[in-house]
Amino acid sequence: MEFFSKADLIGTLPLLVVFGCSLLLLLLDALFKDAKKLVFSVGIIGMLTAIGCSLYTFPLSATAFSDMVLVGGYASFFNILFLTIGIIVFLLSYSYLEKQHYHLKEFYTLIVISISGMMLMASSADLIIIFLGIEIMSVCFYVLAGYKRIKVEGNEAALKYFLLGAFATGFLLYGIALIYGTMGTTNLIRISQNFDAFSHPLYLAGWGLLLIGFSFKIAAVPFHMWAPDVYEGSLTTVTALMSTGGKAAAFSSFILAFSIPLSMHNEKLMMVIAILSAASMLIGNVFGLAQKNIKRMLAYSSIAHAGYMLVGLASGTKLGMDGIIFYLISYSLTNLGAFGIISIFEKENGGNLSYEDYAGLGSRKPILAALLSLCMFSLVGIPPFAGFIGKYYLFASAVQSNLTWLAIIGVMTSLVSTYYYLRIVVYMYFRESQQSELIFVPSLALASVVLVSIGIFIFGIFPSLILNVIQNLL
Amino acid sequence: MLTDFGRILIFFIVGIIFTAGGLITSWLLRPKRPYPAKLSSYECGEEATGDSRIQFNIRFYIIALIFVVFEVEVVLLFPWALVFKEFGMFAFIEMLIFLFILIVGYMYVWKKKDLEWDVPQPKNW
Amino acid sequence: MFLQLFDIIFYFFATVTLISAGIVVFSKNIVRSAFSLVFTFFGIAGLYVLLNADFVAVAQLFVYVGGILVLLLFAVMLTQKISNLQMKITTLHPIIAIILVASLIGVLCGIVRMNDWRIITISEIPQSTAQSIGKALITTHILPFEIISVILLVAIIGAAMLARKSEKKS
Repeated sequence: MEFFSKADLIGTLPLLVVFGCSLLLLLLDALFKDAKKLVFSVGIIGMLTAIGCSLYTFPLSATAFSDMVLVGGYASFFNILFLTIGIIVFLLSYSYLEKQHYHLKEFYTLIVISISGMMLMASSADLIIIFLGIEIMSVCFYVLAGYKRIKVEGNEAALKYFLLGAFATGFLLYGIALIYGTMGTTNLIRISQNFDAFSHPLYLAGWGLLLIGFSFKIAAVPFHMWAPDVYEGSLTTVTALMSTGGKAAAFSSFILAFSIPLSMHNEKLMMVIAILSAASMLIGNVFGLAQKNIKRMLAYSSIAHAGYMLVGLASGTKLGMDGIIFYLISYSLTNLGAFGIISIFEKENGGNLSYEDYAGLGSRKPILAALLSLCMFSLVGIPPFAGFIGKYYLFASAVQSNLTWLAIIGVMTSLVSTYYYLRIVVYMYFRESQQSELIFVPSLALASVVLVSIGIFIFGIFPSLILNVIQNLL
Repeated sequence: MLTDFGRILIFFIVGIIFTAGGLITSWLLRPKRPYPAKLSSYECGEEATGDSRIQFNIRFYIIALIFVVFEVEVVLLFPWALVFKEFGMFAFIEMLIFLFILIVGYMYVWKKKDLEWDVPQPKNW
Repeated sequence: MFLQLFDIIFYFFATVTLISAGIVVFSKNIVRSAFSLVFTFFGIAGLYVLLNADFVAVAQLFVYVGGILVLLLFAVMLTQKISNLQMKITTLHPIIAIILVASLIGVLCGIVRMNDWRIITISEIPQSTAQSIGKALITTHILPFEIISVILLVAIIGAAMLARKSEKKS
């Protein structure tokens, strides 16, 4: 008796490769005493293999394991995104961890496992899989946030993230339970076929609770409180993973789950998401102005960016969803670049994180400064970079579905954000440096940052390259 | 099913009555003449010092953490064991994969010496 | 007669759960809170039995009372100065908290009242759920089942890594 076919296994090959890779890494960690390079390179090889498998499964379009996961298309596309993020974080981390004098092999294993959770979230066709994916990813993040145990901020970050995250997961699970209670199934495909359920109050309450859970995971206002402290307290490369992969994964399953209630053109739900979006854009950008620490500034910026992406979800149109996916790519690349440069510039004990420390970087390290400015311009959304195209699509989708006020808020708050993004550029080029210490630039990290910047450029100038693919995903 | 659990409940109630009854009757019958020596805790004739609630070794905690994880695993084994005969080899292999993943974790904690009990070195007497 | 007995047992477990949960939250002694949690978990297990969820009830006793609670007590015992530790249990922003909690409870209660509940007869109640859970784990839910072991694996790694006394120099 068989309950899955060979096709199921082939379809979920990227996922299985990543699971296998994480087990292998753990074994290598346990068996060999001094094998950081080995674990590092096996992890990268595993993720590259998984990217290859994702490219192979990309043309497929099916479900696997009794309609539990989606195969091909959307899932494969996001798999490639997460794995690319994972490889870049690996490249950034090796020299960074050496510099911080806290280099454990578990770090790499946990990152690979968290990526398997993200991949599950992007390929879920069942609420149970969404929950399990979120749990795998979040548990890894809780541990990674507290990775440097000797640092008080690290402990604070881990504890805050864990307590609030567990609370939010409670909401998510309660929502799933209510939806299951009314529908008798957790399968998203079967739920979407039942149209009568929308008159059911318990069903709507389920979606409401699910919305709270997701809003926490993407750090949308008013569920954003954890983000600044966690982003500041974690190691910089871990923050890079959380703010890019974590957010992209949460949005990928957010889109999968909420395309069902949104397909009913439920005005109230759209309004609730629009309000969350407006609040995130306002609070994220206004609080961003007051920050002195660059990591905290990027945390508020990530809250604001969650708001921009929610604009696309609130519009409920296909244009909006495509806009979110494009925005996720450009935002992930940009943030990876920004955090990558911060991690190169950071001192051993976590110094060099305030605006003043960046004074005169333009003359001391011209390449780093130019790349960081590029990332900042892309975050603002200035035309030749990828950030602009993403914002354009999102705001266009809002206008299309009569949410012009939301688009106006978006544009206005983007203008506000110019101040704090460009302030760092001003510091780098127009202020005198007070430091004269040498900055060591590791080649692996620099290479990955350059690669990311090229991506920002290419997707900004030729967006149709990737937009054509995105438009056929959903 | 409810009647099965009803039996457990009866056991439970009888247990409570038995223990509480013993305590209450002795409390009713016994003479009450307390004095300081009688109220102090008995330590083989030694005088008790300090608090009975001392700080535990962190070792207990790691073992307990690992124990909880494996306990959850055992809970999932029960429903599998009920139907495993119907599905034969397939169910067996499925459970083997499940157990294998956790055994890798077990190997990890073993090799990393988290299960070893570091005995505190006795101080010079 | 049967239903009356059923109701009495339900209210018994509900009261036990509520009172002990109250002690957990409001007690200023951390050890007392931890021990009171035993009764909360026990009461919830009783409620699960009354809902005919026998497997969940046993799992609740097994995992929560037998595992998590022991862990919690260890954690309590690990803290320094347990006996004269005064916990801060006051709320920082009482007005905001009351508004939020009241609105959440209000919405949920409203939904419970608005909903038209289907009342099933006793003959419809399935006998045992553990077997159907086992069947689902092997057939339709095979992927979630295996993924659970990955979550448990992460839990092992995380717990061992964070609670390890110090990284042995390698």
